[in-house]
Amino acid sequence: MRMVHILTSVVGSKCEVQVKNGGIYEGVFKTYSPKCDLVLDAAHEKSTESSSGPKREEIMESILFKCSDFVVVQFKDMDSSYARRVVPSETDAFTDSAISAKVNGEHKEKDLEPWDAGELTTSEELEALENDVSNGWDPNDMFRYNEENYGVVSTYDSSLSSYTVPLERDNSEEFLKREARANQLAEEIESSAQYKARVALENDDRSEEEKYTAVQRNSSEREGHSINTRENKYIPPGQRNREVISWGSGRQNSPRMGQPGSGSMPSRPTSHTSDFNPNSGSDQRVVNGVFILSFISFVLSGVPWPSPCPSPSSRPPSRYQSGPNSLPPRAATPTRPPSRPPSRPSRPPSHPSAHGSPAPVSTMPKRMSSEGPPRMSPKAQRHPRNHRVSAGRGSISSGLEFVSHTPPSEAAAPSAARTSPAGGTWSSVVSGVPRLSPKTHRPRSPRQNSIGNTPSGPVLASPQAGIIPTEAVAMPVPAASPTPASPASNRAVTPSVEAKDPRLQDQRQNSPAGNKENMKPNETSPSFSKAENKGISPIVSEHRKQIDDLKKFKNDFRLQPSSTSESMDQLLNKNREGEKSRDLIKDKIEPNAKDSFIENSSSNCTSGSSKPNSPSISPSILSNTEHKRGPEVTSQGVQTSSPGCKQDKDDKEEKKDAAEQVRKSTLNPNAKEFNPRSFSQPKPSTTPTSPRPQAQPSPSMVGHQQPTPVYTQPVCFAPNMMYPVPVSPGVQPLYPIPMTPMPVNQAKTYRAGKVPNIPQQRQDQHHQSTMMHPASAAGPPIVATPPAYSTQYVAYSPQQFPNQPLVQHVPHYQSQHPHVYSPVIQGNARMMAPPAHAQPGLVSSSATQYGAHEQTHAMYACPKLPYNKETSPSFYFAISTGSLAQQYAHPNATLHPHTPHPQPAATPTGQQQGQHGGSHPAPSPVQHHQHQAAQALHLASPQQQSAIYHAGLAPTPPSMTPASNTQSPQNSFPTAQQTVFTIHPSHVQPAYTNPPHMAHVPQAHVQSGVVPSHPTAHAPMMLMTTQPPGGPQAALAQSALQPIPVSTTAHFPYMTHPSVQAHHQQQL
Amino acid sequence: MAAPPGEYFSVGSQVSCRTCQEQRLQGEVVAFDYQSKMLALKCPSSSGKPNHADILLINLQYVSEVEIINDRTETPPPLASLNVSKLASKARTEKEEKLSQAYAISAGVSLEGQQLFQTIHKTIKDCKWQEKNIVVMEEVVITPPYQVENCKGKEGSALSHVRKIVEKHFRDVESQKILQRSQAQQPQKEATLSS
Repeated sequence: MRMVHILTSVVGSKCEVQVKNGGIYEGVFKTYSPKCDLVLDAAHEKSTESSSGPKREEIMESILFKCSDFVVVQFKDMDSSYARRVVPSETDAFTDSAISAKVNGEHKEKDLEPWDAGELTTSEELEALENDVSNGWDPNDMFRYNEENYGVVSTYDSSLSSYTVPLERDNSEEFLKREARANQLAEEIESSAQYKARVALENDDRSEEEKYTAVQRNSSEREGHSINTRENKYIPPGQRNREVISWGSGRQNSPRMGQPGSGSMPSRPTSHTSDFNPNSGSDQRVVNGVFILSFISFVLSGVPWPSPCPSPSSRPPSRYQSGPNSLPPRAATPTRPPSRPPSRPSRPPSHPSAHGSPAPVSTMPKRMSSEGPPRMSPKAQRHPRNHRVSAGRGSISSGLEFVSHTPPSEAAAPSAARTSPAGGTWSSVVSGVPRLSPKTHRPRSPRQNSIGNTPSGPVLASPQAGIIPTEAVAMPVPAASPTPASPASNRAVTPSVEAKDPRLQDQRQNSPAGNKENMKPNETSPSFSKAENKGISPIVSEHRKQIDDLKKFKNDFRLQPSSTSESMDQLLNKNREGEKSRDLIKDKIEPNAKDSFIENSSSNCTSGSSKPNSPSISPSILSNTEHKRGPEVTSQGVQTSSPGCKQDKDDKEEKKDAAEQVRKSTLNPNAKEFNPRSFSQPKPSTTPTSPRPQAQPSPSMVGHQQPTPVYTQPVCFAPNMMYPVPVSPGVQPLYPIPMTPMPVNQAKTYRAGKVPNIPQQRQDQHHQSTMMHPASAAGPPIVATPPAYSTQYVAYSPQQFPNQPLVQHVPHYQSQHPHVYSPVIQGNARMMAPPAHAQPGLVSSSATQYGAHEQTHAMYACPKLPYNKETSPSFYFAISTGSLAQQYAHPNATLHPHTPHPQPAATPTGQQQGQHGGSHPAPSPVQHHQHQAAQALHLASPQQQSAIYHAGLAPTPPSMTPASNTQSPQNSFPTAQQTVFTIHPSHVQPAYTNPPHMAHVPQAHVQSGVVPSHPTAHAPMMLMTTQPPGGPQAALAQSALQPIPVSTTAHFPYMTHPSVQAHHQQQL
Repeated sequence: MAAPPGEYFSVGSQVSCRTCQEQRLQGEVVAFDYQSKMLALKCPSSSGKPNHADILLINLQYVSEVEIINDRTETPPPLASLNVSKLASKARTEKEEKLSQAYAISAGVSLEGQQLFQTIHKTIKDCKWQEKNIVVMEEVVITPPYQVENCKGKEGSALSHVRKIVEKHFRDVESQKILQRSQAQQPQKEATLSS
C-alpha cells in the first residue's frame, strides 16, 4: 500500500536506476508494476564521463526494468506535497466545492468527530456569541482599533452634517401642519395593500424552497390536476397533454387542445362531476379525465350535449362519478378514489348511463352521454384520453383525439345500447384517447362521438348531477388507482367506443330495440335505477326517440359504416378521413348519437342494473359492450356473457348481427345482475386497491358510453376503419373501443359462460361492437392523432409498445380471430387481444362485470410479444375503471403492422401487476373485477398480456372465455385490467399523472399509426384489432370477439400461458 | 522490531544498508513491499532543496547489512491522496524537457545554452532550438554565446521581456556559483539578487 503510494508519488520525477552490473540509467519515472518492475521514459545510460546531458541518440523512448535487475533506484527531488491533492479542509474547508470534493471525489468517509463544548462556561460563551446581535465589529471598535494600531483618526460624524441638514423642530403652526401631513401620508402608505404586500415579501419567513421549489401536495390535488394547473401548480407534461387533449377533443380537432379542457375538467373532476352533473358529460369527463370524452363528445356530438345530457346525465353522473372517482385516483386526485367507493354503488350505474348518455348526449344521449362521459371521463378520459390522445396524435394527431373522444361517446352510446361496458370502454377510450381522440375524433367520428357524448355526458350529468357526480367520482377513483388502467380503460374505452360506434351503429340498426331493452333492464335494475333511472326516466323517452333514430341510423349505419369503415381507416390514417367520417357521423351522428345515447342509456341502465349498478358495472358493461357487448351482458350475468361473446363474434362477422346484438343488449338485464355483483365484488376488492381499478373500469365504461356517441359517429366512420385505427393507442381507444368494449362485455360473459357465454356477450358486444365500430371509426380519427400520441407514449414507456403492437396485431387478430378476441374482450374487454390471436388478443375489460366495471380499466394489452408478427395484436386494453376493465386491444393493425408489439411491455407491465395474471387465470369475472377493482390489472406488463394474447388469444380465448364467463371474464378482466393498468399507469396515469401512459398511448398510436382509438377504449381497441379483419362492421364484430378473447385471452395469454393462469390465481 | 506483524520495517524507522556495489544507503523507511523485497527510503534531497527529498528504492535482494538504526513505534501518518493526472502531466513534461535537452546537446549546444534554454522554457513555453539558436515566440532569436546582447529580434515587448529573462538567468547562475563558493555570502547575494 505504502509502496504503491510512494512510487506513485514519484511518478514523473527524474530517477536513476542502478542495475546489477553497476550501470546507471537515468530517466523520467513513468510507471511501475505490482511486481515493482519500473518503466523509465526518455532514459539513457548515465556515463560518468560526460557531465552534460545525453545526446538525442542516446535516449531511449522508455526502458523497462525488471525488479530483479536493479539494485537501487533513486528518485530525485521528490516533492511530497507536489502531487498531494489539495485537501479542501486545508484551504477552504467549508465551501461547497470543498465539501463535495471530499465526499464525491474520494470515496472515503468523513471522520466525524464529536464536538466537545468543554465546560459550561464555554457553552455560556457560545450562547453569548449566539445572542450577540452585533454583526461583526462595532464601528466604534473599529475606529478605536485603527486609532490605537495605526494612528488613524476617523472623521466620521454621526450627524452626517456633511450630507444633510438636521431637522429643526419648532412649535410653529406651519411645522405642526407639515408634521401632521407627513404622518398622514405615512399612514396612507403603510396602510396600502401594496405596501403590505411588499413588506410581506421582505418579511416572508418562507424559504425560497417553500415558495418556489417545494412540491406542495394538497388534498385537492387529486381532485383535479387541472385545478392545480389552474392554480399555477406544476402540471406534469402528461397531464398537460391530457388536458390539452381533452380540450382539443372538446374543441374537436386538436387533441392537444384537450389539455386545457382536460385541465379544467380534471381539476374539477370530483367536484365537477357533482357540479357538472348538469354538464355531466363534460364535467364527468373532466373529472375522469373525461375532458377528452367531453371534448370528444363535443366534437362528436358537438351541440348535442345539453339535450342529451339531461336524461343521460342522471345515469352518466353516477357512472361518471364512479368513473371519475376511479379515474381521478389514478390521475392524481385521491379524493376521487375515495369518492368512488361511496359513490360507486350509485355511481356505477349512473356511469354506465352517463357513458351511454354521453354518446347519446347529442340527442338521446343525455342518459348515455351522462353515463358514457362519466365512465369515460373518470377512468379513461383523463388518463386514457391522454394516452389515447397522445397515441392518436402519434398516429393521427387530431384523429386520435377524436377517436378517444368519440370512443367515449361511442362507448357511452354503446354502453347504453349494448350496455354500459361499451360506454365504459369508450369512456376509457375517450379518456385515454382524448389526446388521440382529439385528433382522430375531430377528424372523424370522434368529434361526432364527442359531440354526442359530450352533449349527452354533460346533459346527463346535469340531470343526474347528484348521482352522476358521485358516480363519476367513484369512477375516477378507480381509474385513479389504476391510473394506468384508466389510460388503458380510456384506450379500451376508445376502442370500445369505436367498437361501440360500430356496435352502436349495429345497435342502432339492430340494437335500438336492444338498446331499449337494455334501457329497460337498466331501469328495472335497482342499483342502476337510481342513478340510471334518473337519467333513464328522463332519457327514456329520448331513448326511445333515439332508438328510433338509431334504427334509422342502423340503416344509415350500414351504409355509412361501410363507407365509414373505410373512412375510418382512412381517418385512422389521416384525420381527413376522420373529419369526413365526422361529417358523416355528424350528419347521422346526431340521430345515431341520440340512438346511441338512448342505447347507451338503456345499455347503461341495463348494464348498470345488471352489472353495474354501479359505475363500475356500467363501465364494465360499457367496456364489455364495447369490447364485446357480451361483456356487459356478462356483467349482467356471466350467463349472458357467453351470448355476448358470441354476439361479439357475430358482430365481428357482421354488424348485421346488430339485431342479435340488440338482443344481447337485452341481455343487459342480466348485466344488471352483474352490476350488483360486480359492484359488490368490485368494490370490496376494488376498495383497497381495486377502487382505482374500478375507477379505471368506469372510465372505460365512460369510454364505452362515449363510444356510443361514437356509434353514431361510427356510422360515419367506417367502423372497420376505425377499428384498425383504434388500435393505435390514442386512436385505438376510440376505434378499438367499439371492438374492445364489446369484447369487454363479452369477456365478462365469456368468462362466465366461457364460450357459450361468449357468444352471448358477443352478441351484446356485437351490438356494442357495432356501436363500437362507429366509435372505432371515430377512433381511427383519433388514431390519426395517435402518431403524436404514439410518439408520446413511446417516449414514455415500452409498455406503449406493447400496446401499439397490440393494436397492430389486433387488426390481424380481428381479421383472423375476431371471435377469439371478442371472447377475450368479453372476459376482459379491456384487455386487448393480441393481434396474433387477433381475437384472443383482445382482452376485453370484463371489469365491468366486476365491481371493477367502475374501474373500467382500460387494459391495453399489447400483445406485441405474442404477436411478434404484425398481425400480432397489439391490444391496448383499457379497462374502464368501471370494473369493466376495458381493455383496449389496440390493434394497430391498420396502423401497425408494427410488429413492435414488443411494446407488449405495456401489457407485460400489466401482467407484472400480477393481479392481472392472477385474474387472468381466474376467469371469474367477478374476481377479475375485484382484482381489477383492487388494482388496475393494467399493470400487468404488456408483454405478459401480449404473451397471453399470443398463446391465449386464439386458443385461450375460447377456452378461457368459457371459464372466463364466470371467472375468466373476471379474471381476464383483472388481467386485462392489470394489463390495462400497466398500460394505464404508463398511459393513463401519464395522461393524468404519468406522462408515461400518455407516451404509451402515443406510441401505440404511432405504431398503430392511424389507429388512434386503441388507447381510449381497450375494448374498443380490441375491437379495433379484431375489426380490421372483418372490415368496419365485421371488424366491429370481430373486434368485439377479439376483444373478448383479449379479455380472457389477454389474461390468459399472459396466463395462458402458464403465467396467465398464475395471474388469475394471484388475483384470486 | 516494532514493525507490525507481517511487516519487517515499520514506517518511519531509520534504516541503513549496504548494496552489492558497496554503496552505503541510509534513510527513513517509507514503504516496504515484501513480495518484491523492495524497500523505499526517504533521504535528504541530493540537490539540497529543503522541501524535497530523494526516494531510494532498494532491492533487498542485492543488499546486505540491513540495519535498523532507530525504530519508530508511532502510527505512520495517513497517506495523502495523490493527483494522478498531475503526476502524469509532470512525467510528460519531464520527458519532453529531457528530449528537448537531448536534442540541444546532440546539436552541440553549450551547457550554458542548455541551461538558458531551460530557464526560458520555464517562463515561455514557446521556445525551441533552431540549430544552436534559441528561438523564442518566433520573434526573438538568441544566438551563442547566449548573452543578453545576443538576443535579437523585432524591437518590442517580446524582445525586452526575453532580455530580462536572459539577464536574470545569468544573474542567478552567477549567484548560484557564489553560493556554492561561500555559503556565508549566500543570503546577502540572494537578497541582492532578489532585490
